Amino acid sequence: MIYIGSEVMVSPLGMTAEENWNSLLANRSGIAPADRAGFAGEQVWLSKIPSITGSRRFEKLVMQAMTQIEKGIDRSILSSSRTIVLLSSTKGELEDDINDPFGSIAGVLVRQFKLANQPLIISNACISGVLAINTAGGFIDAGIYDHAIVIGCDVVSDFVVYGFQSLFAISNKPCAPFDAGRNGISMGEGCGAMVVSSDRAVFKNNPLELLTGTSANDANHISGPSRTGEGLFRSVSRTLTRHGVMPGDIDFICAHGTGTVFNDEMEAIAFDRLALSRVPLNSMKGYFGHTLGAAGLIETATSMQMMRHGVLLKSQGFMNTGTSIPLNVITANEDKKLNTILKTASGFGGGNASLMIRKI
Amino acid sequence: MSFITAYCSLTEDVCSVNGTAIIGRDHASADSWFKQIYKQQELAYPKFYKMDMLSQAGFLASELIKRAIPTLTAAYNDDEIALVFANRSSSAETDQRFINSYEHNGAPSPSLFVYTLPNIVLGEIAILNKWYGENMFAVLPKFAPDFYLDYLQILHAAGSKAILCGWLEVTQTQTEVLLFMVEEKGTGIMECSKQNLAELWHASFPAAK
Repeated sequence: MIYIGSEVMVSPLGMTAEENWNSLLANRSGIAPADRAGFAGEQVWLSKIPSITGSRRFEKLVMQAMTQIEKGIDRSILSSSRTIVLLSSTKGELEDDINDPFGSIAGVLVRQFKLANQPLIISNACISGVLAINTAGGFIDAGIYDHAIVIGCDVVSDFVVYGFQSLFAISNKPCAPFDAGRNGISMGEGCGAMVVSSDRAVFKNNPLELLTGTSANDANHISGPSRTGEGLFRSVSRTLTRHGVMPGDIDFICAHGTGTVFNDEMEAIAFDRLALSRVPLNSMKGYFGHTLGAAGLIETATSMQMMRHGVLLKSQGFMNTGTSIPLNVITANEDKKLNTILKTASGFGGGNASLMIRKI
Repeated sequence: MSFITAYCSLTEDVCSVNGTAIIGRDHASADSWFKQIYKQQELAYPKFYKMDMLSQAGFLASELIKRAIPTLTAAYNDDEIALVFANRSSSAETDQRFINSYEHNGAPSPSLFVYTLPNIVLGEIAILNKWYGENMFAVLPKFAPDFYLDYLQILHAAGSKAILCGWLEVTQTQTEVLLFMVEEKGTGIMECSKQNLAELWHASFPAAK
């Protein structure tokens, strides 16, 4: 069995998983108007962490999360030669070093936490986080490592805001995933982290079980979602088959749900093809914005908190069905025992990834 | 046991397939080095001209590898072929061009922005070939045989059967491109081992650190 736990969340909703959970339970969103943040000086809705300021914001966030990870596990694990750190990010320290955005963070982590192995940086657009957790599961399954610390981090920068503006992909209000009135994404920043291990004893709190998933490319378009949801369909099918899980066994789906018209429609088609359209589902983007390389970690960590607390969280921003195939989008928090959950991600480059987590 | 069944390298001046140089750069040409390879090898994929250098490099090397293994596509299902690429600088070259578009050329360029992610090259190759398999892009300080060998194990366990591996470091000052196909069938050119990968790297880029 592969264990997953000690989840950490750093976002505008809180600096710890507990603070984040309390904000989420109150259905608070981190998305707020940011004056003059747009390319033409316009206001843009962003989910930014006000307390992380100055230079090296990326490094500060990663350090913040890693320090909390250190407290959640047996400390000797961190510096063990049987441990690998996996860092998921799209743009790394772009704001500090455009030529070498990932050049310094690995060294800083090695020095600060006395790591035995060089951290592995995974950069696959918006599926990076889910892919990194799956890579951790794969490493442990293959016996290459016994423990993995998975961190996902990205910060909001002019670069990404202007870029998504140039694609007309930024919402003019807080993003509203799966809603009929959705019109784009809200950018967010944050850091999520967790521990994946073959040994239950390394966790100070009870871990959950990771059912390692797979990825699949859409083979369709570098920046547009597939009309048929083919890649997401294939990724989830293979993940279910691999573990002998039936669609009816899934209690909750933490979808990607960016809030763009085409992405959310693609997901609805894929979930319908998978016989999953009636499963309670949400997107966390209405709380955290789209945190890119951090999204898979922050959203998986939130799903783990939901399982621990036995609560289905409302999909923030959703009011009316806005996909050609209706999904069971959660409209209000609800107490429910969650045994098996599915997390999915889709992104630029045609990537799709999925994983499942089960209660032990 | 798995084998390297074909490989292709691009340096600043030479493009080689399975260790044999097939074209050298003409420094007098008005065309970019990658465009010279595209034309001389009579490749026909107009999207090539829209791609950034990372994607162009991946496109060229993967096409040349496919030519060297004519049976490849027929031998596998469309989701059994996986892609595992890595480099040092992510998409830094295109990132700078994108910044330049909004700092000096009036407005952020969407056609540049979509290439400001290193895994886009994986998408380009998947789209062209209709390959629905697993994808991975990692950022490493240098070419590391262990990364590929470890990740190959993970992919084999998940059902991938032919895995196109690549190192793609393309900047203003550097061209280090090495793609190699790893299969379990046949005997290939050489076993996919740590030593063979290190030697392949050294033979392709003798001056590299």
